[in-house]
Amino acid sequence: MSDDLVARAQAGDQTAFRDLYRQHAGRVYALCLRLTGDGRDAEERTQDVFVRLWDKLSSFRGESAFSSWLHRLAVNVVLNERRTTGRRERRVTPVEDPAALERHQGNPREGLSIDLERAIADLPDGAREVFVLYDIEGYGHGEIAQLVGIAEGTSKAQLFRARRLLREKLER
Amino acid sequence: MNEHELQDAVNRLPKSIEPPRDLWPEIEARIGTRAGSGSWQRRWYWVPLAAAAVLVFLLIARAERSAWDVTALAGRPLIGTKRLAASGRLRVGDWLQTDDSSRALIAVGRIGQVEVRPDSRVQLVVARTTEHRLALARGTIDAKVDAVPRLFFVETPAGTAIDLGCAYTLETDSLGKGLLHVTGGEVEFQTGSRASRVPLGALMQIRPTGPGTPYVDDAPAPFVRAIIAFDFEQRGTRARATRNVLALARAQDAISLWHLLQRVDVPLRGMVYDRLAALVPPPPGVTRRATVALESRALEGYWTKIQRIHFRIMVLRGVREIDPRTGLARE
Repeated sequence: MSDDLVARAQAGDQTAFRDLYRQHAGRVYALCLRLTGDGRDAEERTQDVFVRLWDKLSSFRGESAFSSWLHRLAVNVVLNERRTTGRRERRVTPVEDPAALERHQGNPREGLSIDLERAIADLPDGAREVFVLYDIEGYGHGEIAQLVGIAEGTSKAQLFRARRLLREKLER
Repeated sequence: MNEHELQDAVNRLPKSIEPPRDLWPEIEARIGTRAGSGSWQRRWYWVPLAAAAVLVFLLIARAERSAWDVTALAGRPLIGTKRLAASGRLRVGDWLQTDDSSRALIAVGRIGQVEVRPDSRVQLVVARTTEHRLALARGTIDAKVDAVPRLFFVETPAGTAIDLGCAYTLETDSLGKGLLHVTGGEVEFQTGSRASRVPLGALMQIRPTGPGTPYVDDAPAPFVRAIIAFDFEQRGTRARATRNVLALARAQDAISLWHLLQRVDVPLRGMVYDRLAALVPPPPGVTRRATVALESRALEGYWTKIQRIHFRIMVLRGVREIDPRTGLARE
């Protein structure tokens, strides 16, 4: 189903592209939200990802699963944005907004998850990026180093720092 | 919490989170403008087909978008001279009128909705995807819009409310006396060159001469009276009114003082700046000289800080106590 949509979108079918968006928006938005730690930034990055996807779709050759390819594209879009603009001041609709966090649906242990999401959003930028990519998204330190543009040792140090900060925060 | 418990919690995080709003319309608009760069477009035979499709789409869209759906919520509102039963269409140029026992809901294209309260009169002025415009001749509306800024406008006898992505209640009488109460996002209200920015949780009085100074909805009554006196009473009493406002202002009232800065007579600007800076220190790079000279960069920089603090206070109201001087959470 997804392969068919991809093929049709590659042929310029915007309806198919819209369906691809509907299928993958949640996954992309979750990634953007956690990487940026900010609801509005996450919305903008999600849009950027799909606009970039439209441009790049013809280069998808099916050598990996489409969702993995899109995921990688999304990580690149978010990290590139941060590299080019620097860390901008946090927007005024933070994920500290409990309503934004409580939109996470179907989470049976919502209390802890919401606290954890909030704590992740509050992490310093570098620590948050490494934590999200390593612990949530399953990237290795080597890949993270390449993606973020840091040394592998720095990635490990940031992960250690992020976990320590999270544990401290969640114990309060 | 140990490492293992943290990892467990991480593993339970949802992999997918639905965006709080539909992001597709903006994506569609952006890829629409870039369609020429896509590889499929290079195939020449798409051109006539695409042109035909666009033509059909435009014809349908034009027919569709020159009218908005209206639903009667209570009683039987009038569209033109016809009574609305359950639902109908409001076309460009049509007037919708409610009496003392009727209410109606207007779908603002695809970007939001407006509830028209009793005793109101509203006209659809422009219904395009790039501009959604109503005129409120009198009465009260509750607007909720989910779109990029400056797509939705409401004209009143005293000026125009410009949506910056928000929810608000706007009331006016037929002469232009009214009130704007913003409950989400931000609204700009403009009369000629005079404009006010009203963020969520703030109110603003409106008079036929234009917008007043916004104030937070929990501002003490003496402060509100002082603001109204400054805005709308005799010009000769403004210096005294300014001093009253400054004496009564709290850090939470910084949005009011920022507006006041641009409205007081020149000799009083320094005094307003000093009070504002004492309540909410300016951000780095914003100087007294530049602000008192009303340099736009300084004013915008200061507004960004004030607005950010204000939004944090409002969004986290009842959840966290926010220091109104800095915007940081108090432990």
